[in-house]
Amino acid sequence: MALTVVQRPPSSPWPFVKLKLRLIAGGLRGRPARTALFVLGAVLAGLFAITGYAFFAIPGVVDDARAAGVLFQLGGSALVVGWLLLPLLFFGVDESLDPARFALLPLPRRTLMLGLFTAALAGLPALSTLAATAGMVSTAAALGGGGAAVAQLVGILGGLLICVAVSRAVTSAFATGLRSRRSRDLAVVLFAVAAALLGPLQLALLAGAERADADAFTALAEVLGWTPLAAPYSLGLEVADGRLWAVPLKLLIMVATVVGLLWWWSATLERAMLGSVSSGSSRATGDVGSPTGLLLGRRLPRTRFGALVAREIRYWWRETRRRAALITLTVAGLFLPVSISLSGGSAGPVAAFVGVIAVISLANQFGYEGNAYAANIAAGVPGRVEIHSRAAAHAVLVVPLLVLIALVTGVVASRPEHIAGDLGLLIATYGVGLGLVLPVSVRAAFALPESTSPFAVSSSGGLAKGLLTLGVMLGTLVVTVPLQILAYVLGDVWLWIGLPVGVAFGCAGYLIGSGVAGDWLDRRMPEVLAAVTQGR
Amino acid sequence: MTVPAPREGEQVAAMSLRGLVKRFDTKLAVSQVGLEVPAGSFFGLLGPNGAGKTTTLSMAVGLLRPDAGQAFLLGHDVWADPVAAKSRLGVLPDGVRLFDRLTGPELLAYHGLLRGMDAATVDQRARELLDVLELGTGNRTLVVDYSAGMRKKIGLACALLHAPRLLVLDEPFEAVDPVSAARIREILQRYVAGGGTVIFSSHVMEVVERLCSHVAIISDGVLRVHGTLAAVRGERSLEDVFVQVVGGRVSTGSELAWL
Repeated sequence: MALTVVQRPPSSPWPFVKLKLRLIAGGLRGRPARTALFVLGAVLAGLFAITGYAFFAIPGVVDDARAAGVLFQLGGSALVVGWLLLPLLFFGVDESLDPARFALLPLPRRTLMLGLFTAALAGLPALSTLAATAGMVSTAAALGGGGAAVAQLVGILGGLLICVAVSRAVTSAFATGLRSRRSRDLAVVLFAVAAALLGPLQLALLAGAERADADAFTALAEVLGWTPLAAPYSLGLEVADGRLWAVPLKLLIMVATVVGLLWWWSATLERAMLGSVSSGSSRATGDVGSPTGLLLGRRLPRTRFGALVAREIRYWWRETRRRAALITLTVAGLFLPVSISLSGGSAGPVAAFVGVIAVISLANQFGYEGNAYAANIAAGVPGRVEIHSRAAAHAVLVVPLLVLIALVTGVVASRPEHIAGDLGLLIATYGVGLGLVLPVSVRAAFALPESTSPFAVSSSGGLAKGLLTLGVMLGTLVVTVPLQILAYVLGDVWLWIGLPVGVAFGCAGYLIGSGVAGDWLDRRMPEVLAAVTQGR
Repeated sequence: MTVPAPREGEQVAAMSLRGLVKRFDTKLAVSQVGLEVPAGSFFGLLGPNGAGKTTTLSMAVGLLRPDAGQAFLLGHDVWADPVAAKSRLGVLPDGVRLFDRLTGPELLAYHGLLRGMDAATVDQRARELLDVLELGTGNRTLVVDYSAGMRKKIGLACALLHAPRLLVLDEPFEAVDPVSAARIREILQRYVAGGGTVIFSSHVMEVVERLCSHVAIISDGVLRVHGTLAAVRGERSLEDVFVQVVGGRVSTGSELAWL
């Protein structure tokens, strides 16, 4: 038996690079399909490098300094953003050197980071990026001679470091972050926001592109040149322009960015190596309010009703599916009427539609929290109290939104005199919608899978009951049609009586529907519980 | 056989089940279960997995509608007079999610107010429970992020908060660490000594043997044996009785001889 000699661990990054290359080679051995993919990847990387080089070299050939400025700074920014986003979209692109696998080795963090970073540089994406940006050096040489070429060379090397560091740091942060429920919830919500924003964003981009011209692009490029995104890529051009004072500043931006990113990476690396999330939130035990104060805040009454409403409001925010529904409603509710108003249509009917969308998220309100509802049954909460509290919590969140929609629509369409009437229609639709959806939620509750994804729906029965939701939408529209007609016929009179009539109509619809729903719930509590319980 | 309704002034059974039947599709989950749980007893409901313990208790506390039969809690019919029956009952249902997007203190406040208690009492008792069960009075973690044992403990705290006279606990010791289990046992024993009644289900013999004054064994939806622990156990260990009653295989010593 030999004694182990404790050696100082080597601090060179080369073992990491060798390890990575060996891992790549080992992964290819005896797997023709993978080899073919690798070759395809290499070909694509080569193509990218060549087209990129040509793209960045052309301004030098045609001797156009302005085009060079725009191309370098916009193209460089696009590269950095690409390095940032692509690993996130195709998550786990390069996991050949997973930090967690080094956790048991006695490596100083510096060595580990240096090694992993160098290994990340030794890959096809980094090489092809470098080759593509090398076109900038040739342009810089053509425009400003040797000095500019050297500066640009430094720039593209620094740019590459930023690209690699940003992708490492962000993937590492995400990999550790996505392990906790909280951040997965957050990611889901961000996804919902992004999905909801797609439509409006597209329109905005189109409108922007119509108006934009060359000057706008130049200005944008100029601004980007002073951000970490494009600062390195404009170094050579600054020399060529004779703005030598800008060079040290941009160098500083570049170095500071790389250092900052590496520091961030090293902080997340530690947690990635531990492989599991420390429950950081449990330590947040700062100042303590009273339990009822924590639940109810300051305004809500200290009663059963208050507790039910407070819990329900919390759930609209803390439960991802509900939050996603609220976000979608907000975006759609603002976007639809505004875009219709902008294009000169009448916002009234569309507003009614928003009132219907608002209640749809309540159609399976008992399904959201699953059989936790047992607590309310065991405590003997009467059906009407249950129904009223849930509707009240929903209204607390939705009614301000409806007011906002009416206001924004009126202002955007520059017919503020219609605000009150439109709001009346909105509230009428919302109230009638509630009156129809609440009984449905009692009769047609179904279990949702216990998942964090807002798009997950159980297969069995969910669809059939989804049709009921559609029925609610149609029913609401039918019931509120008389009001729409009235508004149309009355014309200017509606501007005056719209709000009170709409509110009265909505309240009546709500009271009838909620009464029915409450009575049904009183008779069906265990059945509702059984319906929302998984696997029965 | 008809059981006369409990008379006024007489010592009322804490829980009285009469001919409970529950059928899921074609499977008879619970068949004609009748059971008297005397007030002030520590009652253990034993049975293998899938025996119908949870189904029986769910019907007894008003969470699952029986196909036939009646359930009385402290003399009140759960299904005819739910408010009176439930007001003095605390439940820890098994496999039931709590409102787990609340923090522990919020959840306790919710349960307290739901039971119609005034805010000051809720605050005081909630703090005490969080402290005694070592859940942390200032813990801002959502219950969904709690460990399984912590979740059991906060569920138990919710059941205890309104000082019920009857506690129905489904598998209260599952996934709870030994230190917390000892704490919970102590709390429950003191509660029973003070006149409360605990009914809990389990399939861990040691716990039942250590705690209970009365036991019942249920298997395949049928109540096999019930009575005081001494009467059921006799001279043997509870485990032997259980295996015999449930009809498990008796080892002959010859199987798996190659081991």
